[in-house]
Amino acid sequence: MDFYFGLAQIIGVHTLIGLSAYIVLLTGQVSLAQAGFFAVGAYVAGMLTVLAGWAILPALAASAVLGAVVACAVGFPALRVKGLMLVIVTLAFGEGVRLFFFNFDYQVAKGGVKLGPLGSEGFRQIRYFPENGWTTMDVMLFIWVFVTLAMALLWWFDRSRYGAVLRAVGEDELAAQSVGLNLTAVKVSAMTIGGAIAGLGGGIYAHYTTHIEHASFGILLATFALAYPILGGLGSVFGTLLAAMFVQGFLVEGLRFLGDWRNLLFGALIVLAMNVRPKGFLDAPTLLGLKRLFGGKSGAA
Amino acid sequence: MLDFFQSLSDGVLFGSTYALIGIGFTLVFGVMHKLNLSYAAASVGGAYCGLLVLQVFAGAPPVVVFFCAFLAGGLLGWLVYLTCFHFIPISNPLATLMATVGMLLLIDEIIVHLTAGMPVGYPAMFDDVMLRMGEFTVRGDLLMVFAVSMLCMGGLLALLYKTRLGLATRAVSQQTVAALLCGIRVGQVNAMTFVITGLLGGIAGAMIGASVGTLSPLLTTPLTTKGLIVTVIGGLGSVPGAIIAGLLVGGFENVLQQYRGVTERDLYVMLLLFVFLVFRPGGLFAPKGGRD
Repeated sequence: MDFYFGLAQIIGVHTLIGLSAYIVLLTGQVSLAQAGFFAVGAYVAGMLTVLAGWAILPALAASAVLGAVVACAVGFPALRVKGLMLVIVTLAFGEGVRLFFFNFDYQVAKGGVKLGPLGSEGFRQIRYFPENGWTTMDVMLFIWVFVTLAMALLWWFDRSRYGAVLRAVGEDELAAQSVGLNLTAVKVSAMTIGGAIAGLGGGIYAHYTTHIEHASFGILLATFALAYPILGGLGSVFGTLLAAMFVQGFLVEGLRFLGDWRNLLFGALIVLAMNVRPKGFLDAPTLLGLKRLFGGKSGAA
Repeated sequence: MLDFFQSLSDGVLFGSTYALIGIGFTLVFGVMHKLNLSYAAASVGGAYCGLLVLQVFAGAPPVVVFFCAFLAGGLLGWLVYLTCFHFIPISNPLATLMATVGMLLLIDEIIVHLTAGMPVGYPAMFDDVMLRMGEFTVRGDLLMVFAVSMLCMGGLLALLYKTRLGLATRAVSQQTVAALLCGIRVGQVNAMTFVITGLLGGIAGAMIGASVGTLSPLLTTPLTTKGLIVTVIGGLGSVPGAIIAGLLVGGFENVLQQYRGVTERDLYVMLLLFVFLVFRPGGLFAPKGGRD
C-alpha cells in the first residue's frame, strides 16, 4: 500500500507545480522558471526545519512567501519583454537558480553531524517527517490537503472577476489594455501566485524525498510543470490534475516495465498529443460536453 | 594580462559555435515567430549522426564526418518541422512550443539510449597545430572551428541576401500575409528555413564536438540556454546580432571561467542576460519597431 501512497505523494507535488504554471499560462505567458521557484522553496523549507528547527507549517509558509517574492522580483524585469522572449528569460533564470544551488554551501554542525546544503552533493537528511513519526499515509494526506487548497483557490479564481481578467489578458493583450486593465499588474500578480504555489510544492517535495540536489530542478522539471497544464488543457484546473496523474501514474510508473524505452516514449507522446489535441485533453468543447453530461446546464459555459 | 587575452581569444573562437546556434533560433523566430526549443538538441543529434560514418567506413577523414553531420542536421531540421510545426494550427503557439520541448526530450533520450549515456570521442582537425606569438598561442582546432563557422555564416548571409529563396525568406519574416499575397509559398519557405537552420546546427554540433573532443547528451541543455541567451542579447530575429552576441558570450564565459572556475561560469552568463534585459531589452540589434 505504501507504494501507492508514495505515488500519490509524487502526483500531488507534481500537480502543485503544474498548477503554478497553469495560472501563469492563463495570462498567456509561458514560464520555464517554475522549477526555479520550486527549488527556492525546497531549499528554504529544508534549511528552516533542519537548521533552524522550525515546525513544518511555518517552514512551508516561509517557502511559499519566498517563492512569491522571487517570482515577483523576476516578473518585473522579465515581463517587460513579451511572449517568446519570456520563455528564454525564464529558462535562463531557472538554469541560473539551479547553478546557484550547485555552488551553494551552507553547512552547520549539529550533534556532531554536518547538516545543510553542500553544492553538488545536495542537501541530505531533511528528516522532519520520519523524526516526528509521520507515516507515508499521513504525509500523503498532508500533501493532498495543500493540493486541494491550491486547486480550490484557482477554481474559485476562475469564477471570480480576477480569473476573467487573467483570461482576458491571455486571450488578447491589446483588447485587455484598451478596456483599462493594467497588464503588468495582472501578469506580475499571476506570476507571484504561481511562485507561491511552486515554492510551497518545493517545500513539501524537500520533506518527502529527504534529499534534494540541484540536478532535480533542471529543465526537465520545468518542462513537466509546463506540460501538465498544456497537455491537460487550460479550460479547467482539473486538466492539470488529470495530466499529472496520467504522466506520473501511467507514463512514469505504469510503463516502468519498458525500462529505458519509457523515457523515449515520453517525448514522443508529448509531440503526438500536441499534434492530435493542440488544445489539451480538456479543451473547451470537451468541457462543454462534460457539463452537458453531468449538469445539464451548458449555457453557463 | 596574458591569461586574460589568451582566454578571451579562445572563448571568442569557440563562441562562433554559439553564434551558429543563435542564428538557428533567430532565423526560425524571424520567419515563423515561434521558438524551436529542440534546435540545440537536434544540432547535437546531427553531430552524432556524423559519427555514423565512422561505423561504416572506419578511418574516414574528419571532413567527411563534418559533412555528414551537416546533412544529418538538415534532415533533422526538416523532421522537427514536420512533427512540431506542420500539422499544428498556427494560431496555437503553446502547442508548437510544447511539441518542440517534447522533441528536445525525445532526441536527448534517443542519444542517451544509443550511447548508453557515455560521452563519445569526436574527430578533430589541426588539433596538433599551435600558432605561437611569444607566450600567446592560438589552438589550431579552435581556429578551424572559427573558420568553418564564419564560412557557414557567410554562406547563410549570401543565401539570405543574394538568392530568390533568401528574398522569399526575408519577405515572410517581414510580413507573412503580404508575402502570401505576392504568391510566396509560405509553408515551403518555413520548411526550407528549418532545413537551412538544421544544416547550420549540424555543422555547429560537429564543430563543438571537434573542439571539445567529445560529444555527450549533457551538452544539449547548456547549449539550448546559451543559444537562446545569444539570441536575446543579439536581438530576436537579427542574424548579425546573433553572430556578434555569440562571439561576445563565448569570450565572456571563457574569461570568467579563467577567474571564477567552471561551475560558476554559466551563472555569470545568466547575469549578463539579465543586465541586457534591464538596460537594453531589445538586444544589440533590435529590429526597428517590428516586434510583435
